[in-house]
Amino acid sequence: MDLSLYWELFHFAILAALLAGVVCPLMGAFLLVRRTGFYGVTLPQFAACGVACGYAVLPWWLANVGLGGLDLEAALESPHALRNYVLAWGALFTFGGLLGLVLLGARKETETGRVAAAFAIAAAVTVLLAQKAPTGREFIEQLLRGEILTVDSHEFETIAAVYAVVLVLLWLFHRDLLLVSFDREFALVLGKRVKAFEALLMILTGLTVSAGVLIVGPIVLFGLLVIPPLAARGLARSMVSFFVLSAAFGVVAAAGGLVASFALDWPLGPSLCAVAALELVPGWAFGRLRHGWST
Amino acid sequence: MIRLRGAAFGYGNDPVVSGVDLDVSPGDFVGILGPNGSGKTTLFRGMLGLLAPMRGTVERDVAAVGYVPQREALDPVYPLSVEEVCHLGAYGRLSGLRRVSAADRELAVRALARVRIEHRRRELFSSLSGGQRQRVLIARALMMRSPVLLLDEPTTGVDQPTQRLIHDLLAELNRDENLAVLFVSHELALLRDVVKDVVWVANGSVERGEAERMLASEKLEQLFGGFASSEGKG
Repeated sequence: MDLSLYWELFHFAILAALLAGVVCPLMGAFLLVRRTGFYGVTLPQFAACGVACGYAVLPWWLANVGLGGLDLEAALESPHALRNYVLAWGALFTFGGLLGLVLLGARKETETGRVAAAFAIAAAVTVLLAQKAPTGREFIEQLLRGEILTVDSHEFETIAAVYAVVLVLLWLFHRDLLLVSFDREFALVLGKRVKAFEALLMILTGLTVSAGVLIVGPIVLFGLLVIPPLAARGLARSMVSFFVLSAAFGVVAAAGGLVASFALDWPLGPSLCAVAALELVPGWAFGRLRHGWST
Repeated sequence: MIRLRGAAFGYGNDPVVSGVDLDVSPGDFVGILGPNGSGKTTLFRGMLGLLAPMRGTVERDVAAVGYVPQREALDPVYPLSVEEVCHLGAYGRLSGLRRVSAADRELAVRALARVRIEHRRRELFSSLSGGQRQRVLIARALMMRSPVLLLDEPTTGVDQPTQRLIHDLLAELNRDENLAVLFVSHELALLRDVVKDVVWVANGSVERGEAERMLASEKLEQLFGGFASSEGKG
């Protein structure tokens, strides 16, 4: 396997996957401890649904709203304009879905069911929209299968800029985000703006998902948002080590997934998830050692 | 330090407790008692500022009120170390990039030593027993450097020796540091020898008096008939 050839062909995709390997697990760490891990699967599906919807309505959009004066043929040949357009649809569905889940009810006991139902509906609608989309069907199918996508410099710059913002905000506010997640009432007593931080956490989750899904695909996001933090949870001895291990496991999963994908000619998403799944073993074994094999 | 005048607290349009006149002063050591559903927690939340008064006024002339929640409210899925939980008490003084200062780290070590749990400060909070977690939460409240400590049922769900340990610890803090300590409890029998004053919350009203008088059988009979006095003996 000539890695230099893959680097030459896919270097922006490789960098995007590694970047997602750092940022997504950090975001997923918050989802896991807030017991909202299922959002890590459902939100990328919302985003994929948005991308499919964008393609399905593209001719109508061009005729009635417009995309910089482009017609369908010109739009399809202008990857930047088209990618920005479907990225906006992905973001719209991610934030709309997130807001809908929050507004649909505060009843914690039915939350898992609600999020699971939303995932099933979004998955079904994505397939139906892809079926009906007059253009971009091949792209949507690649996206859903988790195949490595050609990422150009513009797309890499988009994901790098969005993830840089997410990383900076996480770094700046991780203490407050942790406090309002762990002990909301204590945060209120300390005078923290709890609702603002909860909203920030949702916005950061939405940004991470909507920017990532178009570039690395929903399966990569499922794998990176959920599995590395779960693997890290079993080994962590503090929140600091939890965050560090989550990001480290994410990078290893991304790198291992890329190598497996190139070497075995597997789609990237499933390869990455398979490597990430192996990371669960040390955490599980450590947990058994710590608590005994009988429990 | 905390002054309630004619205060009413409740949810929606329905007050749970009303006409509350209560003063919290330095050195107070008060148990907040009452039957289940009487409004103890509602009053507690009102004193903390988590619930705005529907009527009347609540004045606080302290920068922060030291708060100890019920430990069951905290999810064990968070891999927080004991030290990290204690540091949360200093977060009111932090913003943005500011890290927990060396002085606050030192304060955390002292607070954990004060509650006699500093030897486990690098362990996971979730791995501690119920009584140990409660002591860590008291240390976290001490990190707030508040002259008032409000605790929500600190001895619920722990065995009697641990209850005694926590009560002794609170008495020490009250005596040695002149902290005002108020805690919600339903352990009448255990409180008799611990607190100076008792606040009874029952039938939508609040009454404060010396522990000896408020926990006397005659007073319990007067407040609740036979029910509470027999419960208190249990």
